[in-house]
Amino acid sequence: MLNIKGLQENGYHILILEGEVDASNSVLLDESIQKLIADGSEAILIDGKRLEYISSAGLGVFMSYLEDFQEKNIDFRIFGLSEKVLEVFKILGLHQLMAIFPDKQTALSS
Amino acid sequence: MIKLPQINFGKLSLLLAILVWLSLLFVDLVRLFGILNDIDSGIAIEFTWILEILFFLMVYVFYSNYISQNSKNEFLNLIWRVASTGLFAVVVSLLIFLFYGSLGESRLAQEPFLRNLFYHINFALTSIFLISSALLWKHLILYQKSKRVVKQWQAYEVAMLGAMFFIFFNQNTLDYSFLFGLVLLIGLGLVLSGNLKWIPYLTFKEKWKSLLFLFIILISCGFLFIQIQGYTNKTVYPVNLTDNLFLISLFGFIFSYALFSFLVTLFNLPTSSVFEQKLTEAISFQRLSQSIKPEENEDQVLDILMDSCMSASYADAAWLEMAREDLSIDFQLERFIDAKTRGELIALIKESKISIGKPDEKLSKNVNIQELRIDHPRFESALIIPLLINKIPIGRMILIKEVKDGFNNEMINIISTFVSQACISVENHRLLNQAILNERYQEELKIAQRVQKALLPTKLDHNDSFNISAYSNAADEVGGDYYDTFKLDEDRFVLIIGDVSGKGTSAAFHMAQMKGIFQSLIQLNLSPTDFLIKANSALSKCLGRNHFITVSIFLINTERKTFCHARAGHVPTLHFNSSASKSEYLEIDGLGLGILRNKLYENHVEEKTFNYQTGDTLVLYTDGVIEAKNHQGKQFGFERLRSLLEIYNEHNSKEIQTNLIDSLHHFVGGDGKIDDDYSMMVVKFN
Repeated sequence: MLNIKGLQENGYHILILEGEVDASNSVLLDESIQKLIADGSEAILIDGKRLEYISSAGLGVFMSYLEDFQEKNIDFRIFGLSEKVLEVFKILGLHQLMAIFPDKQTALSS
Repeated sequence: MIKLPQINFGKLSLLLAILVWLSLLFVDLVRLFGILNDIDSGIAIEFTWILEILFFLMVYVFYSNYISQNSKNEFLNLIWRVASTGLFAVVVSLLIFLFYGSLGESRLAQEPFLRNLFYHINFALTSIFLISSALLWKHLILYQKSKRVVKQWQAYEVAMLGAMFFIFFNQNTLDYSFLFGLVLLIGLGLVLSGNLKWIPYLTFKEKWKSLLFLFIILISCGFLFIQIQGYTNKTVYPVNLTDNLFLISLFGFIFSYALFSFLVTLFNLPTSSVFEQKLTEAISFQRLSQSIKPEENEDQVLDILMDSCMSASYADAAWLEMAREDLSIDFQLERFIDAKTRGELIALIKESKISIGKPDEKLSKNVNIQELRIDHPRFESALIIPLLINKIPIGRMILIKEVKDGFNNEMINIISTFVSQACISVENHRLLNQAILNERYQEELKIAQRVQKALLPTKLDHNDSFNISAYSNAADEVGGDYYDTFKLDEDRFVLIIGDVSGKGTSAAFHMAQMKGIFQSLIQLNLSPTDFLIKANSALSKCLGRNHFITVSIFLINTERKTFCHARAGHVPTLHFNSSASKSEYLEIDGLGLGILRNKLYENHVEEKTFNYQTGDTLVLYTDGVIEAKNHQGKQFGFERLRSLLEIYNEHNSKEIQTNLIDSLHHFVGGDGKIDDDYSMMVVKFN
């Protein structure tokens, strides 16, 4: 089960992910991000506080936009990941390529 | 009843009838001889009557036996048989008439014996005609019988039997009791004559034929009756056989039934086509409901539908449109119409829809049968019938007529029945096809499964310095997990384990690519780092945008007792250190293959060389093992795997692997299914 909620805050687009991202629903995440890019968003924040699990297909979604973010100068940040989920990012090495922060405050201030 | 086997009642009764007739003739001629010579022959008149009754009964038995053996005869055949018998009797009596005409006033013409012989022949033929006809009428009357009709017929038979014996009571005189009996029997006959249910089942042509036959029967009946009335001269014919209540009332019955049948058939002629139409509709319906056989296709069902509807509504032209999967309209079938006229009519139908147009009724309009008047030089009315499966339109049929308001409610009712039946057939057909297709896909997947299994090595390269064991299981038919080995030389071996993001068929394809890349690159004797860099660059051109592959690679050198390891985003390998009696995950940085598809990837690769000693164990696995969940939603996890290896480290690689996988299955629960591919490779150094 995955719930995605979109918010707009001080020029940031926030996507709040709730539940689990796996192969069956990673398309939802893909669509949400694609829509933000198409809408010309300049800064995207992913709120992962309530994200319980992410599979390799979910990671693939983030991965596939890394180039786009770079090209279009989009500030993409993730915060609030649980230790378990963060571990998944780390094992794959994605933490080396993405801006991951412990909480919203640090994500906004740095 | 006494059983009389081996006796043919038909032949026996025929023989008896002939014998009875001959004795009747003999008795009467003897009596005549006595009268002529004034000698009392001593033969009572009752004797003649008994023989006459016996003759009637024998003929009855013979014919009822004969008809029951040929009960499959069609109506027309039966009527023809009656007519031919009548015709024969008429012809014979005409011949006798002609014979006497040719004799003129000669002595032979006055011969009373000859006259009586011919009288007996005439009597016999007339009786045969009447009795056989009555039995055939019985067959017709009892067609689609009800209990009431059967009772009536039985009453009639009993009454007729009584009429045979009436002659003993009445002594062959015409009195009131005779008249009373006659009226009663003819009345009963008239009541029975109302049963004419067989007539509608004749086709138009058959009706004409039966009219002809019935006419012959009427004429024969009349002729024979008049002729019989001629034998009243008491001096020439001392015994009157034919002024018999039984025969006269039979005449009445045969004649009235033939007359009724004739008239009803005649008046049924104009409506005959309607009945035939209804019969065709019933047959069409049957064909439609039977057309679900797998060898028949959808087009055949629609073909039958089209023909049935056209004949049910007497339509002049029609066509059928089916919606295809790509939403385009396909003109599946057309009858008596060309593309140009059809185009004109479609435009007219569209127009008339707008003129009725209530936008909010758009949906219901597509669902109901619609009758339209159209303004076309040739055609005046149209009926639009949507074809629906589960209330979803799959097409429409348009029937066109040259007359205004050409479709009545009966037609629309029968057409909608046809259409719904045909739609069920089409739906069944489609479901069947889908089932067959699904089965084929399943077969294909099974083939893919076999092909993929063949991609995993059956024999794992190793030497005496270590033993090795591997296991893999896919969540679906095919999966994205990969492991392999390669022998560089006697002392150096490469092990690899990989996991393609996602699962199922797409993952399986990438897994196959990974195998190709591994088997070709590894022969170049590359270091783990170089291998990963080159593999990343190769995969960058192969993988879909959101796909990546994680691998762990090991280069084991058994001479130096070392292994060189690099990790590309794969779950860390578990290592059991026998000197410390502890297991821990190998820590090394790395990035999955296909994530960074440029030169920058090189910055994210790292390799480390470790020393090993006897008793050390390596457990390579994929994330399906760690992420497997039990019923409480708890993951198997890194810590559980780590501590399990400390328990089982004493065993060889095969046993360790079996124990770990069993523990995993036990953790998930007996019926629990692991929703991801999971693999494991265990290396135990000797």
